[in-house]
Amino acid sequence: MPQNETIRDLGLDEYKYSFVTDEKPFFKAQKGLSEEVVRQISAHKGEPEWMLEFRLKALEIFYAKPLPDWGGDVASLDLNDIYYYLKPQDHMERSWDDVPQEIKQTFERLGIPEAERKILAGVGAQFESEMVYHSLKEEWTEQGIIFESIEDGLKLYPEIFREYFATVVPPQDNKFAALNSAVWSGGSFVYIPKGVNVDIPLQAYFRVNSEQMGQFERTLIICEEGAQAHYIEGCTAPSYTSDSFHSGVIEIIVKAGARFRYTTIQNWSHNMYNLVTQRAMVHENANMEWVDGNLGSKLTMKYPSCYLVGEGAHGEILSIAYASDGQHQDTGGKVIHAAPRTTSQIVSKSISKGTGRSSYRGLCKVYEGAVGSKSNVECDALLLDETSRTDTYPYIEIDENMSSIGHEASVSKVGEEQLFYLMSRGLSEQEAMTMVVRGFIEPIAKELPLEYAIELNRLIELEMEGSVG
Amino acid sequence: MAEGTMTGDTRTDTESAPAAGADAIARGLASYVRSVYEPTLLTRLRREGWKTFVDTPMPTRKAEEWRYTDLSTLEPESYVPVTCEGERLPVERLPEPVRAAMESDRDRAGVMVRHNGCLEHLRLDSALEAKGVVYAPLEEVADHRPDLLERFLFRSDVAPMEQKLWGLHAALLSGGYFLYVPAGVDVEHPVHAFRYLDQEGSVVSTHSLIVAEAGARVTCIDEYVSPDLERESLSLNGVEIFGADGATVSYLAVQQYGRGVKHFSMQHSNTGRDSTLNGFNVTLGADLARADVTSHLEGEGARSEMLALWFGDRNQHFDHHTLQHHEAPSAHSDLLYKGALTARSSSVFRGLIRVAEGAQLTDAYQTNRNLLLSPNASAVTLPNLEIGADDVRCSHGASVGQVDETMLFYLMSRGLTRKKAERLLVFGFFEEVLERIPGEGVRSRIRSSIETKIQAR
Repeated sequence: MPQNETIRDLGLDEYKYSFVTDEKPFFKAQKGLSEEVVRQISAHKGEPEWMLEFRLKALEIFYAKPLPDWGGDVASLDLNDIYYYLKPQDHMERSWDDVPQEIKQTFERLGIPEAERKILAGVGAQFESEMVYHSLKEEWTEQGIIFESIEDGLKLYPEIFREYFATVVPPQDNKFAALNSAVWSGGSFVYIPKGVNVDIPLQAYFRVNSEQMGQFERTLIICEEGAQAHYIEGCTAPSYTSDSFHSGVIEIIVKAGARFRYTTIQNWSHNMYNLVTQRAMVHENANMEWVDGNLGSKLTMKYPSCYLVGEGAHGEILSIAYASDGQHQDTGGKVIHAAPRTTSQIVSKSISKGTGRSSYRGLCKVYEGAVGSKSNVECDALLLDETSRTDTYPYIEIDENMSSIGHEASVSKVGEEQLFYLMSRGLSEQEAMTMVVRGFIEPIAKELPLEYAIELNRLIELEMEGSVG
Repeated sequence: MAEGTMTGDTRTDTESAPAAGADAIARGLASYVRSVYEPTLLTRLRREGWKTFVDTPMPTRKAEEWRYTDLSTLEPESYVPVTCEGERLPVERLPEPVRAAMESDRDRAGVMVRHNGCLEHLRLDSALEAKGVVYAPLEEVADHRPDLLERFLFRSDVAPMEQKLWGLHAALLSGGYFLYVPAGVDVEHPVHAFRYLDQEGSVVSTHSLIVAEAGARVTCIDEYVSPDLERESLSLNGVEIFGADGATVSYLAVQQYGRGVKHFSMQHSNTGRDSTLNGFNVTLGADLARADVTSHLEGEGARSEMLALWFGDRNQHFDHHTLQHHEAPSAHSDLLYKGALTARSSSVFRGLIRVAEGAQLTDAYQTNRNLLLSPNASAVTLPNLEIGADDVRCSHGASVGQVDETMLFYLMSRGLTRKKAERLLVFGFFEEVLERIPGEGVRSRIRSSIETKIQAR
């Protein structure tokens, strides 16, 4: 079977949503980064003095830290050729009707189903760096749930904000966290009070729409004791010719007995550098789950982390990556066991096609004293072409003997027997291939909310179109 | 022909010594080079190594390869290079541990003993000698067969992060052997080298160069022994194995140094078409032991089995660093490294399977298992994959854990004390690698060393 011929065009390589909406920015900072730009951003947002100081300090840290010399190639990223702040509108929209028509069009063309919009209980739609649309069900407000743009979080709830902000990801953490701390703009602020169970996912759909514009989204989530919630972030951006840059910081605090799940489906256009720091502090008997899908971007470096700091805490990371021509998905997860009887699991699935490269990079650290901790890591990689590449770089550091840690990884290609079997049952080659790929990602797809699972399946199907023949 | 006993020989070209400059290390090494007689070929390689050493910055812990082993405290100039003078010792005056070890295995094709780098004893089966097998000190081969040495010595592809120590090793070379097995010759019994170190505060640098021509077969063992030393000594070691098409080489290194030794071993095997090169490392001694083990699978259909076991106690630190480099299609490699740690000891395993583009039908496996036997022991394991071809079977696994409580409970319910039950389980853990050690005598000596370590904890 001319396998390589038949699957050549299988991938998610052509960006399906390549269109541009005329932008009408209200305020546009100059290209490049300087203390002046940081001061402008802070002044524009009307921030308190401490935040400006925080930003300026972070900027110094950013300058001092070297670029990472591991992972993907960030050498061609020109940090001086980026707009660090844009603001499309000067006030928050109150209802869907007020959302400008062109932005609505953008969503339309992204294919967010009508039904989904209705289901969405609260939508934080981020269009160019800031929340433009934000609604929240009344009952949630009654329950004391806060779901605001990060800017409003700072304005309206300064005390909670200041107590938790930058405690999970301090600016010193890494160069891009420092950069984000200096120029952050947009993102969500979520607070789930004690014991409250939010059964409908909170969603933020956002996109970057301006060429060479960096998006430095910052999200802070506090899930109080015994609370439960699910937050979904999905993003997709139009394709441009020159490189774009996204560097977010997500901080989550999951308090004792709480349960929190954070889902991301990332489908940035293929010229995007996506360098994100996502981390959760997980307390006693709390449960944190990251579901992380990476389909787009030129280079993604993202390793959702669980710091298991309370006894009996549990962390889970499900990661899926699809790298097609020219893409490098350098993803994975980190679990840090810093308390007794903490447990964690990482499941990673990656698909590489054409010249795509997917790398799993992960850390499992067990500190002395974290007795009875257990962790299991599984990585599977599927290679579709001779030219595709996959890497696995797990770090396992164990300082406690009363613990049990396992790591397994495998690399394979789509089996000819599998294809042959499916085709002998009457499926076309393309259908067979689609089915194998879908089967491969199934363990993760089934963890997604229905509408996202549908979207993911639809994407995979779209990519398989014309892949055979 | 005893090495290094003559000084000031005219063949030692002192004028072309690289500029020592202000560098204390360079000065120390320069005087060392000038003081030792040796053939020009070795002197040249020594100088090249020295240049590499001086030109390469010392790796810091920022380098991935040296993240868990701090080289910055290593001061090569603080050790005195070993020198050889006087007569060889007769066998009965060799250090006791060496004599005991020599007696444990009767069937040997060849034996070599070095004491602080100096050749004390050398024997090769005369029948093998007649077949063209060479087992001789490097300097002797450099005199008689420089062409052979030129072809193989320091010819392995050494990774950038290994260059610093590889250069130092070459610069300070204090003896090595060359084992050459001509095409089609089958060496039935092992060729066994003992390296004994008891000079305080010294640096010894040994090299094992093993060449098996097409279809040849040989088993080679290197053992490192020392008493506990008061002043720290440094042991550098390079191993180069070349297997031509269809050759089979089994190599075993057993490191049982005492306290006060730092040991760095850099091992490279280069496999030809359909050749099989198996490497085995047993790490039990020294304060710090680092082994860089690389299998270059260069020939189609090559096979490499890589095994290791270690048992750490007190505050020993073992760092095993491996590379299975699949450069040709249809090659097979299988790595199994198992370590147990007690007291405050720590271990690092960092292994990489690299499948080059076009190395289709690669079959590569990598497993690292760690057993932590005390609350203060720690293990780091980094099993890495870099896969550039699609039609491959690659997998790796790593685990860190303690002795299974259920198994302990079962054994104790049958009347065993906890200690005895643990001992059984530790041996059970090691058995799958232990049983693959070539040579009955050396195998039982390793068993009893592990036994001693278990009893002492």
